[in-house]
Amino acid sequence: MSTSLTIPKLQMSTTEGTLTEWLVDDGEMVEEGQPIYTLETDKSVQEIEAPESGKLVQKQAAGETYPVGTEIGEIVSA
Amino acid sequence: MAAGAESQDLAIDHGTLREIYRQMSRIHEVDKAIQAGLSSGKFQFTYWPMTGQEAIPASIAPLITSKDQMVTIYRGIHDQVAKGVPLKGLFAEALGRESGVNKGKGGSPHISDPASGSMLTTAIVGAGTPIANGLALASKMRGSDAVTIVNFGDGATSIGAVHEAMNLAGVWKLPVIFLCQNNQMGEYTTIPEYTASKDFASRAAGYGFKGVKLDGNDPIAFHNGMKSVIDEVRGGNGPVFVEAVTMRLGLHAGVGFTNHLSKEDLAAAKAAWPVPCTRALLLERGICTEEELTGIDNAAKSEVQEAVAAALESEVTGTDEMLLDVYADPSVVPTRGQREKRQEEAPHKGETREMAMFEAVQDAQELALELDDSVFFLGEDIGEPAGGVFKCFKGMQSRWGERVRPTPIAEQAIIGAATGAALAGMRPVAEIMFCDFVGVCLDQIVNHAAKQRYMSGGATHVPMTVRTIAGGGIGGFGAQHSQSTEALLLHNPGLKIVYPSTPTEAKGLLLSCIFDEDPCIQFESMMLTYALREEVPVGDYRIPLGVAKVKREGSDITLITYGWQVMHCLAAAEELAKEGISAEVIDLRTLLPLDYDRILTSVEKTGRALVVHAATEFCGLGSEIASTINEQLFSQLKAPASRFGAAYAPIAYSKTIETAQIPSAGSIAARVRELFK
Repeated sequence: MSTSLTIPKLQMSTTEGTLTEWLVDDGEMVEEGQPIYTLETDKSVQEIEAPESGKLVQKQAAGETYPVGTEIGEIVSA
Repeated sequence: MAAGAESQDLAIDHGTLREIYRQMSRIHEVDKAIQAGLSSGKFQFTYWPMTGQEAIPASIAPLITSKDQMVTIYRGIHDQVAKGVPLKGLFAEALGRESGVNKGKGGSPHISDPASGSMLTTAIVGAGTPIANGLALASKMRGSDAVTIVNFGDGATSIGAVHEAMNLAGVWKLPVIFLCQNNQMGEYTTIPEYTASKDFASRAAGYGFKGVKLDGNDPIAFHNGMKSVIDEVRGGNGPVFVEAVTMRLGLHAGVGFTNHLSKEDLAAAKAAWPVPCTRALLLERGICTEEELTGIDNAAKSEVQEAVAAALESEVTGTDEMLLDVYADPSVVPTRGQREKRQEEAPHKGETREMAMFEAVQDAQELALELDDSVFFLGEDIGEPAGGVFKCFKGMQSRWGERVRPTPIAEQAIIGAATGAALAGMRPVAEIMFCDFVGVCLDQIVNHAAKQRYMSGGATHVPMTVRTIAGGGIGGFGAQHSQSTEALLLHNPGLKIVYPSTPTEAKGLLLSCIFDEDPCIQFESMMLTYALREEVPVGDYRIPLGVAKVKREGSDITLITYGWQVMHCLAAAEELAKEGISAEVIDLRTLLPLDYDRILTSVEKTGRALVVHAATEFCGLGSEIASTINEQLFSQLKAPASRFGAAYAPIAYSKTIETAQIPSAGSIAARVRELFK
């Protein structure tokens, strides 16, 4: 089973977000609730936590801006 | 250590604290699942997180039952979870699905689940408080010991509705608890920026009742504090205002922790977060083992996972639901091509008595009180000695006691109380003195009473009636007491509107409104209230809603009108008859549901139509009816259907201007002549 990670609509006015940094390397195991990347939207930076536990698969590079809904990775559970 | 000693030490028994934590864990798992769904992109809806405020409803839950009623706001999912709204229905509602508690038509900001006592959720800040008064009033009038708890944020203390509601609750000693969840922020603005008040609890003293400030992050202190508050309110001692001090850890709307606090302040707030703190306390005191706590958390997690899975399996609510639940009867909804045939009233054969409109209204009101125990009246000055500003309540307070309730001068409080009582199954009838005043209670009428059936997917409805006077046509009342405001209300789906032109119709329509299942508004005109007298049926006499009546037959043009303009149209028709123009006059009587069948039948015969009303012509009901006639009967018309209403200006104080700006017999006849050119 895998859970898709997409650029979230964090606030009502959010239309895009910048994936500023992956906090966990591609292919590493993450625990639910562990911060996995930082997202900059509307001039504020937030840590986004893993919605599930499993292996992180990165699909988009850090440092780029993506529209809300863009899939940037997934978590593959064991 | 003995269990008793521990309990005393903690000032709460173990079972209760464990139960409070179980509710906190359920709330926390719901919050986590929503945030995970939103941040992974699986869900897409607006979320107003209540992270940090979990202890408040969790600590109250063991003190109340489903019989006790609750009102909350868009940041209210914690309140709903603890009150017992089923999680499957809650998630499905947030996702706009068929199996939602409100069929996916209200969404998370508009949950109503009467089975659990979660009566209404508003997305209008502060607007739940006047409605909570109505719920509490219904309990009080029925002799029930149920309490109503209305939740709102600190930000809501700035808005007028809360002031009106607290004042009314105080004077009526209502069994309502104003629960201000002070999370330190009104949306994005912090306390010193939006109020100079040092606290909120002390405001209650100004309304003559008790205010208490409790630590909403300490489940033990808060539970105990609320226990005395609930006992006191249940005991019939009137309302209490509770300021529950907490901290919102999330954003106003969206996912993640707040960015309005400094890193240090956020760390401190997270350290005081009641969910992990209470869990740690249970462990530390040996009340629960780690296994037991994990068991509680896992059970909550499974319940949430099952609810999410079930919600995602349910279909997104489809367009077949679009026009359902606007009214009890979907045929009331005006739609293109609609031509609903409704049965008119049977001719009255019984006894009659001569009455003016104000007397006919009083006659209907007395009868409604006799017929049904759930009917009551509220409004400004309706008690004695005034007996109502328009004399429709003469002597009624002495005869009916608490069922005729004079109110403070506070229209939001009046309509809110009526809406809340109606939600609880009463049939309240409110008087809003002049129809210009709907402006001060428009939110209660159009956002709450009118929309509640739809927003709740039919789970609740609001069988209330409002009577109001249009003061125009007499002169001397000025711009704020003379307008005819029906178009303002007709534009808001969910209301039924009647506008009688005779004493008999005022009685017959009012009785139908009072016993209707939807919110109804009766306009009465000052021009007719005292001046016009006629024989009115005695006893239970009703005129069905949505049935127009031909008041004068004619063959050349149909004048479609209502209210006091019926009188002017009949006079114009007499004048026109002398010139060989035969005008038929139709009195709509009900503006919604609109009787398109009788309108179109008449225009099919005459081939010409003019809609006449006292309301502003621009964007008035006349434009709507005229365009429907033009669309439906284009090939049969001898001239385009048109409309004639008041000039586009506030009603002037000058009698000369007012007479000229509102249609009159002379100007109606002149307008008709133009259509024959």
